[in-house]
Amino acid sequence: MTADFKIKNGLDIPMEGAPGDQIRSVPLKGTVSVFPSEYKRVKFKMLAEEGDTVKQGGVLARRKDQQDFLLRSPVAGKILEIKLGERRSLQEIVIDPTDAADQETFTTFTVNGLLKTPREDLLSHLKDTGLMALIRQRPFNVIADASVPPKSIFVNGMNTAPFRPDAHLLARGKAEELQAGLNALTRLTDGPVHLCLAAAKAVTPDLLTKAANVQVNYFDGPHPSGNTSTHIHYLDPVLPGDTVWTLRVSDVLRIGELLLNGVIPSTQTLLLAGNGVKPEARGDVKATTGMSLSAILDGALIEGETRIVRGDALYGDIAVPESGVYFYDQGYVVLPEDRERHLLGWYAPTTEMYSAHKVVPSAWLKGKKFTFGTNTRGSKRALVLTGIYDKYVPLDIMVDPLSRACISKDTEDAIALGILETDPEDFALCTFVCPSKTDFGAIVAETLALIQEEGF
Amino acid sequence: MNKDLKETIESKHKEIEPLFHKGGKFEKFFPLFEAQDPFALTPPDVTKGHTHVRDAVDLKRVMFTVVVALIPCLLWGIFNAGYNYYHYSGIEANPFMILFRGALIVMPIVLTSYIVGGIWEVTFAIVRKHEINEGFLVTGLLFPLTLPPTIALWQVAVGITFGVVIGKEIFGGTGFNILNPALTARAYLFFAHAKDMTGDVWAKFRYFDPELGKYVDGKTGATPLGLGASYGGQAADVTERLSSDGFSLATIFGGLMPGSIAETSAIPILIGAAILIVSGVGSWKIMAGGVMGLLGTAILMNFLPSGVVGDVTLTTWTQVPFIYHLFMGSFLFGIVFMATDPVSAAQTDMGKWIYGVLIGVVTVLVRVTNPGFPEGVMLAIIFMNVMAPIIDYYVVRGHIAKRNAYLRKFSYAKG
Repeated sequence: MTADFKIKNGLDIPMEGAPGDQIRSVPLKGTVSVFPSEYKRVKFKMLAEEGDTVKQGGVLARRKDQQDFLLRSPVAGKILEIKLGERRSLQEIVIDPTDAADQETFTTFTVNGLLKTPREDLLSHLKDTGLMALIRQRPFNVIADASVPPKSIFVNGMNTAPFRPDAHLLARGKAEELQAGLNALTRLTDGPVHLCLAAAKAVTPDLLTKAANVQVNYFDGPHPSGNTSTHIHYLDPVLPGDTVWTLRVSDVLRIGELLLNGVIPSTQTLLLAGNGVKPEARGDVKATTGMSLSAILDGALIEGETRIVRGDALYGDIAVPESGVYFYDQGYVVLPEDRERHLLGWYAPTTEMYSAHKVVPSAWLKGKKFTFGTNTRGSKRALVLTGIYDKYVPLDIMVDPLSRACISKDTEDAIALGILETDPEDFALCTFVCPSKTDFGAIVAETLALIQEEGF
Repeated sequence: MNKDLKETIESKHKEIEPLFHKGGKFEKFFPLFEAQDPFALTPPDVTKGHTHVRDAVDLKRVMFTVVVALIPCLLWGIFNAGYNYYHYSGIEANPFMILFRGALIVMPIVLTSYIVGGIWEVTFAIVRKHEINEGFLVTGLLFPLTLPPTIALWQVAVGITFGVVIGKEIFGGTGFNILNPALTARAYLFFAHAKDMTGDVWAKFRYFDPELGKYVDGKTGATPLGLGASYGGQAADVTERLSSDGFSLATIFGGLMPGSIAETSAIPILIGAAILIVSGVGSWKIMAGGVMGLLGTAILMNFLPSGVVGDVTLTTWTQVPFIYHLFMGSFLFGIVFMATDPVSAAQTDMGKWIYGVLIGVVTVLVRVTNPGFPEGVMLAIIFMNVMAPIIDYYVVRGHIAKRNAYLRKFSYAKG
């Protein structure tokens, strides 16, 4: 059962800095941190104290609103410090790792056994181990609510954004973990589990294309054909009251690893890319969850001021090198902070700076790759041009009316116009191409937060 | 050399910038500094938020492309004004004299528009503490090009003042205006100073007669639209009459005749249209829709008799072939440069088609059914500017209905 979707709207930005396909390991160095603050809008209560020793998989904290949803340590060691933020919110738990292979062990499952495991058992196991947090839910892209069964589950195996890791590379050699994870997902919904892959990958069969018990769907076209919102829109759109659950292939692999081995996975495979990373260092690195970014990026960055983005160049958070590998991270794009000023740059016929608009000469150069920095390349203005954004959004969404509804806080209209089908990352290309330098992602994010708060 | 220049400018900017910041000597004039600074050098700002890279396009570039597209029209306007000056004063002139004379007539009008409009723009920017918008580069040139070359400079000043202040700033500035500011300015002059704006006075240049040794008024020259209205309700062969009055199809297309500065010739307007369409700055949907609406309605009108039909008086224009409607008057200029203003036009794709077509339809209706106004383009565009939000409203409602139908398909499939 295979469906094929050809996406026309969108844009593949010809960006330099694409990664190669090597995977190297970075040894653990320094302390390891767990960041409860990365689970946005979720509050935790500490269950351990400074000075305690914890096992790998030992309990650190639990969710305030769900007693059985725990936060566990990726490594064994001693808790050095618990950092609190505003209103005593838990920010960071710093652990000094020890060499001892001191592991908390959990129930193990078999690949085929998982097909018969009761849903409730799986869910409570995932919550107990904290890996439930890898399963997210639409609308609103929040941690899935285990008490509401989703109508379907979407696994994203695509990487159209600049740059995200290649799921096919991540899954290589992990047949059992992949299938165990997917089998577990089939138990969590009465509907189908959709695995969405790039059509180009269908030519060379591998573990993902041959995955069993799920519906493999192929999407073709420019970014954001690889965004989960796109997949949901074409396969099983979210209607009012519906929920669907979403994961990435890397998440499925981690869940599979836990279920088969009975141990909390302590490493993550992370992509390093972007022209702020030296060409030879671009690629996947295997590193310990929570270790500091400076240790991973040591010697990998170009000279000069750079920006580390947790995510991709089109949508991600800025990270400081002193911070660590978040539980959700799957890669970092590093870009040079570009503060250079260009003489008469606003009308100079540039061929060095990429534009999707035909009014800039560089847009006529086909096949050329461009370097990107973080410069705004213009100043913020009122929204003047209209009707140019829709061709960058493959969902049935009209961007102009939606953003107007959002700006005027008309949540009712925003919902009618389809905001619940979207995630702010879906509007990143609109932000990118906007001549008035408007941040559409931020506008949509604000309204989504408002709707989530008020209910609908 | 380029690099040295850049460094000099950059260091000078750094030197004077603190004067414009809070507490600086020229704090109030920050918008002025802010306006010129990124013109010289692109801003050093880096992105904030979640999207870290940006396209090289900038609103300045988009706006300036419209100015570039208007340059052929401006040059043509200069030549045509000079030509008509000598033509109606009966003096032999070579092309250089024509261009020089034309520039003397047209450039003061353009400069008045830019200077007076610019002063208003800066005043509002300083009082409101917002940036000076590049949209003014377009308005400041678009407006004078729609005026007859005989217009008085004080009228230009009053007109652009009305356009910028009432047409744009009272709504909150660029991006929030309902009507196209340049067209609002023109409409104001059209109604307030009608006799200087319309009909058969357009070639009334004063010129120096060497034989008499003093300045005298030139002969009047009519525009084809003005003439046509004056033919009255006779069902004569209009094209023949126009032709015998000096307005063959070739003249109307080529445009060496009296009229507003930039509207008379189709050639520079078509060059401008090509620039706008290829660069993607102007909406080809609006232009195509407008032409289709105009042609369709003109052809329908050909089936009507002219003269008094029941209660309605139809002008001779019912009998004009559609191709005349296209090249006569300011329709082409209006649909290419005025109707495509993205702020006051319809914003949805479907809306743009409807908006364009209706401008064409209304233009012909005004020309044909209203003996009071020989030209209908300006009124058609202003009318559709007002209607654009309503068109968009229904297009968006239609979109929502289509969305819901798509979503419902999935809920039925699930039972």
